[in-house]
Amino acid sequence: MLHSIYPFTAVVGQSQAKRVILIALVNPRVGGLLIGGRKGSAKTTLVRAAQELIAPRKIIDLPLNVTEDMLFGSIDIEYAVSKGERRFLQGILGRANDNVLYIDEANLLRQELLTAVLDANTAGFNHVERDGISFTHEVNYTVIGTMNPEEGILPGHILDRFGMYVDVQGEAEIANRVEIIKRALAYGKDIAKFRKQYAESIVELHELVNVSRETLKQVEVTEAMMQLAAQMCAQAFCAGHRAEIYLLEAARAIAALEKRTYILPKDMQEAAVYVLAHRMRTPPETQEMEQEQQQNEEPEENQEQEQNQGEASEQSDELPPPPPLPDNEDDGSDENSDENNEQDEKQEEEQNSNQLAPEEQIADIDRTFKIPKLILDMGKNTTLRRGSGKRSTTKTDLKQGRYVRAELPKAKVEDLAFDATIRAAAPYQRMREANGCALNIQKEDLRQKVREKRIGNTFLFAVDASGSMGARERMRAVKGAIFYMLQDAYQKRDRVGMVAFRRQKVEVLLPITRSVDLAQKCLAEMPTGGKTPLADGLAIALLTLARINKKDSELEPILVLVTDGRANVVEGNEDPVASAIKMAEKIRKAKITSVVIDTENDFIKLGVAKKVAQAMGASYYSLNQLSKEQILRIVRNLGE
Amino acid sequence: MKRTAVYPFTAIVGQEDMKMALILNVINPALGGVLIKGEKGTAKSTAVRALAELLPAMQAVHGCRFNCDPHNHNLFCDDCAKNYVSDAVCHIEDVKMRVVELPVSATEDRVVGTLDIEHAIKHGEKKFEAGILAQANRNILYVDEINLLDDHVVDVLLDAAAMGINTVEREGVSYSHPARFVLVGTMNPEEGDIRPQLLDRFGLSVVVTGEHDPSQRVEVIKRRLAYEDNADDFIAGYQEEQQALADKIMQAREALPNVTISDELLETVAKLAVELGVDGHRADITVIKTALTLAAFNEHQEVELSDVKVAAKLVLPHRMRRRPFEEGQLDWNKVVAFLEQEA
Repeated sequence: MLHSIYPFTAVVGQSQAKRVILIALVNPRVGGLLIGGRKGSAKTTLVRAAQELIAPRKIIDLPLNVTEDMLFGSIDIEYAVSKGERRFLQGILGRANDNVLYIDEANLLRQELLTAVLDANTAGFNHVERDGISFTHEVNYTVIGTMNPEEGILPGHILDRFGMYVDVQGEAEIANRVEIIKRALAYGKDIAKFRKQYAESIVELHELVNVSRETLKQVEVTEAMMQLAAQMCAQAFCAGHRAEIYLLEAARAIAALEKRTYILPKDMQEAAVYVLAHRMRTPPETQEMEQEQQQNEEPEENQEQEQNQGEASEQSDELPPPPPLPDNEDDGSDENSDENNEQDEKQEEEQNSNQLAPEEQIADIDRTFKIPKLILDMGKNTTLRRGSGKRSTTKTDLKQGRYVRAELPKAKVEDLAFDATIRAAAPYQRMREANGCALNIQKEDLRQKVREKRIGNTFLFAVDASGSMGARERMRAVKGAIFYMLQDAYQKRDRVGMVAFRRQKVEVLLPITRSVDLAQKCLAEMPTGGKTPLADGLAIALLTLARINKKDSELEPILVLVTDGRANVVEGNEDPVASAIKMAEKIRKAKITSVVIDTENDFIKLGVAKKVAQAMGASYYSLNQLSKEQILRIVRNLGE
Repeated sequence: MKRTAVYPFTAIVGQEDMKMALILNVINPALGGVLIKGEKGTAKSTAVRALAELLPAMQAVHGCRFNCDPHNHNLFCDDCAKNYVSDAVCHIEDVKMRVVELPVSATEDRVVGTLDIEHAIKHGEKKFEAGILAQANRNILYVDEINLLDDHVVDVLLDAAAMGINTVEREGVSYSHPARFVLVGTMNPEEGDIRPQLLDRFGLSVVVTGEHDPSQRVEVIKRRLAYEDNADDFIAGYQEEQQALADKIMQAREALPNVTISDELLETVAKLAVELGVDGHRADITVIKTALTLAAFNEHQEVELSDVKVAAKLVLPHRMRRRPFEEGQLDWNKVVAFLEQEA
């Protein structure tokens, strides 16, 4: 299928991506390359096209459907059957040796496999212990991965293992876009003819890669460049010392591509764009404290300050300005609300124009609100569950889910792992009686499949939309926080539902659904006003979750309660707060994982939400704290 | 299995967008398939299954399990590439393009293919057993309720759809083969979203709603009753229309390579894509390809503005949403105004 490759040089624009691919092809020691970008921006096309530049080396695919035995290598069945001996058969890692290993949609590959692939390369060997085989072989490959950040991003520790990162975008120039269309049509019409037009340029580029690989051996790293590398990495607050090495190796490749045997500072600068972008870290504590102090006084100047810091490490143009703070951390002094009001005058005007009732208002969503990931203490699930989604990985008892490995059966075999069974039986065939088949399989050979499936969680948002919440822009920050969580839920394929309580009644705005989109619409349109029936709100939330739990017990329900705790209505003559706490205890008894986000921001704190959280056994966060902990997210341009 | 009767494509009342989108994909399989969104009972599945009757015959390499095209060596599977000597000695057979169904409950090994267990036990050798993606090569792959498909199955679909190659590395076999298919999916949006990346793989999308016109609704009922009463007679009654449409599709297929488009229209489409801020370049390319196909169907020698308009309506709406929650509403009047002003 080599004859259908779209020529590398026929790709319009994308000079940065092309350049960084060349660097990766020239120097296997740059630690691989991750290409991020929206759909349809020629990521995959470019990597596939690289095949023609590295022949006779090859691009080996690592498909998402890979099983462990195929990746790491396993026993050679055919040899075992015919000779009765165990022999190692190479897996993808073995075949990728000295070649390029390509992972399309790298963010969708099981993370432990991705880590193993990257780590084996760093270590330089692959050590296999499986199916009665013990084998170690050297590995040396270049990993190239592509991903679309819309489907979720990779965690920092995995990103860090990739030497280089580049973001590709579609062309904005009309003329270029037209050219892209024309070439796509020409390619579709007659592949052979199209490829012929670019044959010469491909040969040239192939030659360049080959020559540069030779030149690379002579490119030396001087003391001065090492100093520069250390300086750059320190400025970017890179953790560990991988960054320096990758930076120097990338610079070496750049020098080689320029036919030089020495590195210039501009090579380092270019290398920094690819090597440091994804591994810049938060500045150390002390500086953060300083910033915070300034922040309290002059929040806007502080933003500039942060930007300046970015510039120092040459990446400022890639980082969007820090998000405006949704709320200040002072305890709701008038100053703050004044500031906020000023900032959002426009929005308020808009709100005023479509106010529903004098008491009701709809706050817009603060889309820039970022909070650190909520950590839910759920542990790894050991109970067998069913369902589909991406959040928690769990073992599944259905014959569904991804087959990850085989194991000795604990009970009766229901989901036979044929391949593993055959591997287990193969070495003994010469000793066993012939039964007409090539393989005589006996009970002790049987292996069972272990399947893994990612289970989405069910999130029920119980949102306090009472009048007290509407005040002082609080609702806007709340909506921002929920919006952020919804975005996460969208990527993880969770189910969501929404309950709002206000005006003495509780509304199920959205029954549990997989359509996160609908939840977002509900959120945007949610009005605030009236009193707070907290206990009723919790009761309805519990009921909604109990119903869903009965219907499909496979989905882990999580209750997210957002309130300021100012419960002031309840049926009958009970104390509103006491009955809310009583209800919270019921939720804890129902073993529902819960999170409380306390939005109390008033001068005198009642701390009801905290008490409710304790009664519910919930993880407790204060909205203020969340914004205080707001971390300058280095990789947020990935997460956009 | 005896073939059960299929409701004729031409007997479906209304739903012109959906029918057109399906026909265009038959004429030009490179369009990238169609996603049909709509409520229950809006003839989505009926239309896709009915499409099978209209599919043209095509030539394939004799005995190839992937139905390789004997005239396109560039896309041969490994076996065909190995056996190929010259066009003269290549055994060719006529096969009908098919609708291959991928049930929502399908397991990954059945979709991508796996180790041939029987062969392994009998002969002690590894052999690849082809899966649904192999059958789907050069055919239509139909996924009903595609939004309910398991995530890991969607992953492998994406993998294959991206490059037209299915790479298998599982259960002891390592194999890759061509898997170029027209992906047709149906979904009911109330039951959940479809992943943006999968959405983008669809060349066209249409939204179907039930007919609102009472007389049309009556017609739907009448035809359905007549069909259930006596399927054979009903089908016979549409024989002529079916044949006419099948012929028209064949003619359009032949005309397609000769249809041209002006540079001005190309530029207009590129500008429109920038104006709308769609991701990547798939939108531009697909609008043009669709417009070319429409022109072929409408017997135009050169693409006209009207073809581009219809194409834009089929291609752009599902690409409008840039981020998960942004309102991805396409203001159709604006698009038309833009096209007219530019052209």
